[in-house]
Amino acid sequence: MMSSPRNLEYEQLWLNAHTDTRAAVYTFSSCITLADLNADGDFKLVVADLGTGSTNVKLKVYKGTSLHSETALLDVPTGVTSFYMDLNEPRMPAIAVASGSNIYIYKNMRPYFKFSLPSMDINPLEKDLWMQVRDEQIEHGVFIELLNNLRAEIGFSQMSTQSQHLLTLDSSNTSSFVQQNCKFPVKRQTVVTCMTTLKKALAEETAVSCLVVGTESSEILVLDPEAFTILEKIKLSDEDSTTLAVPAVLSACGLHAVEFRIVAACRDGSLRLARRGWTETKTLVQLPAQPVAMTISPDNASITIALMNQTLQCYSKKGKLQWMINLPAAACALCPVPLPHQSATLVAVSLNGGLLQLYNGRQLVDVIKAPQSVSGLVFGRFGQEENALIMFTVDGSLLVKILKRTAHFNLNGGGNTASVAPGAAQQIKLQIPKKTRLFLDQTMRERDNCVMMHRTFQRDLFQLRVDVARACVKALQSCNNPVSLEGAEPLKLSAQVLGLGPLFKMVISLQNISASSMIQGLGILFHFDDKMYSMDKPFINVPLLVPGLEYPFETMIRNISELALSDQVRVLVVKDGQSQPVLAAIINMPVCDLLGMV
Amino acid sequence: MGLLDKLVTLFGLRKQEVKVLVVGLNNSGKTTVLNHFKAEDDKSTEIVPTVGFNIEKFKNQNVGFTALDMSGQGRYRDLWEFYYKDCQGIIFVVDSSDRLRLAVVRHELDLLLQHPDVAGRALPILFLANKMDQRDALSSVKIAAGLGLDRILDKPWHICASNAVTGEGLEEGVTWFTQQVRQVGQPGNRPSRGGPLAAAK
Ligand SMILES: Nc1nc2c(ncn2[C@@H]2O[C@H](COP(=O)(O)OP(=O)(O)OP(=O)(O)O)[C@@H](O)[C@H]2O)c(=O)[nH]1
Ligand SMILES: [Mg+2]
Repeated sequence: MMSSPRNLEYEQLWLNAHTDTRAAVYTFSSCITLADLNADGDFKLVVADLGTGSTNVKLKVYKGTSLHSETALLDVPTGVTSFYMDLNEPRMPAIAVASGSNIYIYKNMRPYFKFSLPSMDINPLEKDLWMQVRDEQIEHGVFIELLNNLRAEIGFSQMSTQSQHLLTLDSSNTSSFVQQNCKFPVKRQTVVTCMTTLKKALAEETAVSCLVVGTESSEILVLDPEAFTILEKIKLSDEDSTTLAVPAVLSACGLHAVEFRIVAACRDGSLRLARRGWTETKTLVQLPAQPVAMTISPDNASITIALMNQTLQCYSKKGKLQWMINLPAAACALCPVPLPHQSATLVAVSLNGGLLQLYNGRQLVDVIKAPQSVSGLVFGRFGQEENALIMFTVDGSLLVKILKRTAHFNLNGGGNTASVAPGAAQQIKLQIPKKTRLFLDQTMRERDNCVMMHRTFQRDLFQLRVDVARACVKALQSCNNPVSLEGAEPLKLSAQVLGLGPLFKMVISLQNISASSMIQGLGILFHFDDKMYSMDKPFINVPLLVPGLEYPFETMIRNISELALSDQVRVLVVKDGQSQPVLAAIINMPVCDLLGMV
Repeated sequence: MGLLDKLVTLFGLRKQEVKVLVVGLNNSGKTTVLNHFKAEDDKSTEIVPTVGFNIEKFKNQNVGFTALDMSGQGRYRDLWEFYYKDCQGIIFVVDSSDRLRLAVVRHELDLLLQHPDVAGRALPILFLANKMDQRDALSSVKIAAGLGLDRILDKPWHICASNAVTGEGLEEGVTWFTQQVRQVGQPGNRPSRGGPLAAAK
C-alpha cells in the first residue's frame, strides 16, 4: 500500500486501496468496464490490455486486487463495455469487445457471439480492376496506377480493404500481395471506432441495453442486444456538405424505446447529435479542437468534453457553450463521478503528468496526484465497494482509490473556483429581477430633475476637490508629512518605536528618494514634552544621504511621567540655514508597561 | 484464574447481561457469525444482507449476550456510532479475503476508535479475520498489521481467524471476549492491557 503525500490544499477524501506498479496493463478508459460478472454482487474489473499495441493483447479480469482471468484477443480492441443482453436469471452481464470490424460478445468470460459489421458496396470500377488483374488482363504496374487514379477520384476511405492495404505497401512487395489476394473476392468493411451502450426500454441498472457503435464509415449503429440486428443506422453527415465525420467518442443517454440522445464527438472536431427517429445527425457545434473524452450529464443532458487544446468545456444539450476552463496540462482521460449522497455528479479529468482534477460544473473541488499520467480512468462499483476510482497509468500501473464514506466535497464555491474565460462568462444569462414600482418611480424622478441633479453633483464634487486641496496645502505648509517631494530634498521618513517602556528605542529611517542628487546638511530634531519624556539625543546629525539607501538613526527615549501616560513626539527633519523643517512626523508613543516601571 | 472465575460465576454474574455491538463492512460475515452462536432451532438457513440492524441474543459461559448486528453497507454505517455508548464490547468482523477494502476497514476502525463514546474507554474489541477459508484470505497477523491494531493501547483486543460458515475459530474468539466482558463487569478488576498477549493466557 502506498500513501501519497498529504495534499495541503484539499482534505484527503480518498483512501489508497490498492497500488500495483507491476500490473503492466496498458489501456484507455474506453477499454475498461466494471461489471457484476457472476451476479454475486462482487463487481469485477474487466480491462483490455493493449500490450505492445500488436502483441500481447489480452482481456483481463480483476477480482478485487488479484488478476482473476486472462483471455487472449485476436486484434487490438477499440472499446470494451458490459451490458445486459437478456432477461435471464441470474442477471449476468455480457462483455462486448469491439476490435476491427467485429464485436465479440463474451458471456461468463467465454466467447458467445461474434457480430461483424455489414460489408459495404465496392466501386464497380475497382471490382473490375481486381477481376482483370486476376485474369491477367492487365499488368501489376498498370493495375496499381489505375487504383491510384481511382483513389484520387473516390478517396482512400471508399476503397476496399485489399486496395487500401496494397496502396500502403512498398513497391517491392506489391507484386506478391496482388498475386496472393487477387483470388479472394474484394471486400470492403468498415471498422468500429468507438462503442457505448443505451438502455433499451427500462432505466434500471440491470435493464437490457443496446450496443451503440460508431464506425469508420461515419455511421452510428444501434444494435439489438438479443438478435444483433441493426435497429438504427444514423449517418454522420451534414445536410449541406458532403463531408463525413468519423466518430471518435460516443455518449448516449435515454431509452431506445422512448427517447434517446446519442452525442458523437468526431475526429473533425464537430459535436453531433442523433435522436430517436433521425437518420442523420445534426451538428451541435464545431469544437475549437479535437475531442479527448466526453460525458453526458444524466440530469440535463449537458455535455462535458475535454479537448486537445488543454480545455474542459461544457455545452448545453442544444450545443451552446456553457463554460470553458483552461486545464493546467493536456487532458488524457475523463470520467463521471456520481455522488448520490451529495446529489451531484463530478467529472474527474486526468492530466498529462499525473494530476487528476475533480470538477463540479466548472468548479474545481478536489485534486488527486498519481505517480504517472493516467490513461485509463473509471469510477464505479468495484468488488463490494461502491465508490472506487480505478486508474491505469501510462507505465502500466494499476491504482485503486476509494472515496471515504465521510468524504464531503465542498460544492458550494469557496476559494477554489477555477478561473473562467471571459468569453464564456459573458454568455451566462444573468438572472435580472423584475422592475419594481420603486425602480420606475426613481427612473421618472431622475428623468425629470436631471439638470438639477447634475448641478448638485457638480457642486459637491468641486467642494470635495477644494477640501482636498486645502488639506494638502496645509500639510505641505506645516511640513507635516513623512514624505517630502518638494524642493531640493526629496526624502522619506519612517519611524519605529521599540520596547515596552518606560525606556523605548526610537528608530528613525531616512531615505533619499531623489533619482541622483545627494542630500547634505540635515539634522533630525525631536520635539517633546520634557515633563513626560527624556531623550539622550534630542538632535541627531544626519550625514550625507546617498540616493536610494535607507539610513537608520537610533535614540533612546525614557518615559519619566509618574502617571505612565503617553504623549506625542514630533520628529522634524531640518536643514542647515533653513527656518522651515524639510519634513515632519508625529509619533504617538505607546503606553508604557506599568509592570516594567516598578 | 480458576477460583476467581468460579466465584464470579456463582455470585450474581450468572444473570449478567452484556450488550455487544457487531460491526464490520457489508459482506464481512457478521450475520453469519451471530447465526453460528444462536441455538440450533433459531438458526436461519438463508442469510441476506442486513438492513439497518438486527438484535440477536445468545449465551456463552453463562453470560447472556445481546448482540446488535449492524448493517455494514456504506449508507447504514453512520448508524454504528449511536450504539457505542450503550455497549460493553465490540466484535469487529473483517472479511480477510477482501484485500481491496482493507483501507476502508482501517478508516472505519479509525472513526470508531476516535469516537468520543469509544475513545478512553476500556471496551474489549474482538477482531474476527473472517472467511479464512477463502483462497486469497490474508492471515490474521497481516490483518492486524494492515489495520494497525498495535496502536490500540487502552483497550483489550484480540484477533483470531475464523470461518463463520463452519464456526472454526469462533469459539476461541468468543471465549476471550466473554472473559473480557466479565472482568470489565467486575469493579476493581482492570482488564488486561491490549494485544494478542491478553489472549495467550
Ligand atoms: N467462505 C466464507 N463465506 C462466508 C464466511 N462468513 C460469511 N460468509 C458469506 O459471506 C456472505 C455475507 O455474509 P453476511 O453474514 O450476510 O455478512 P454481513 O456482514 O452480515 O453483511 P451486511 O449485513 O450486509 O453488513 C454470505 O454469503 C456468507 O455465507 C466465511 O467465513 N467463509
Ligand atoms: Mg448482516
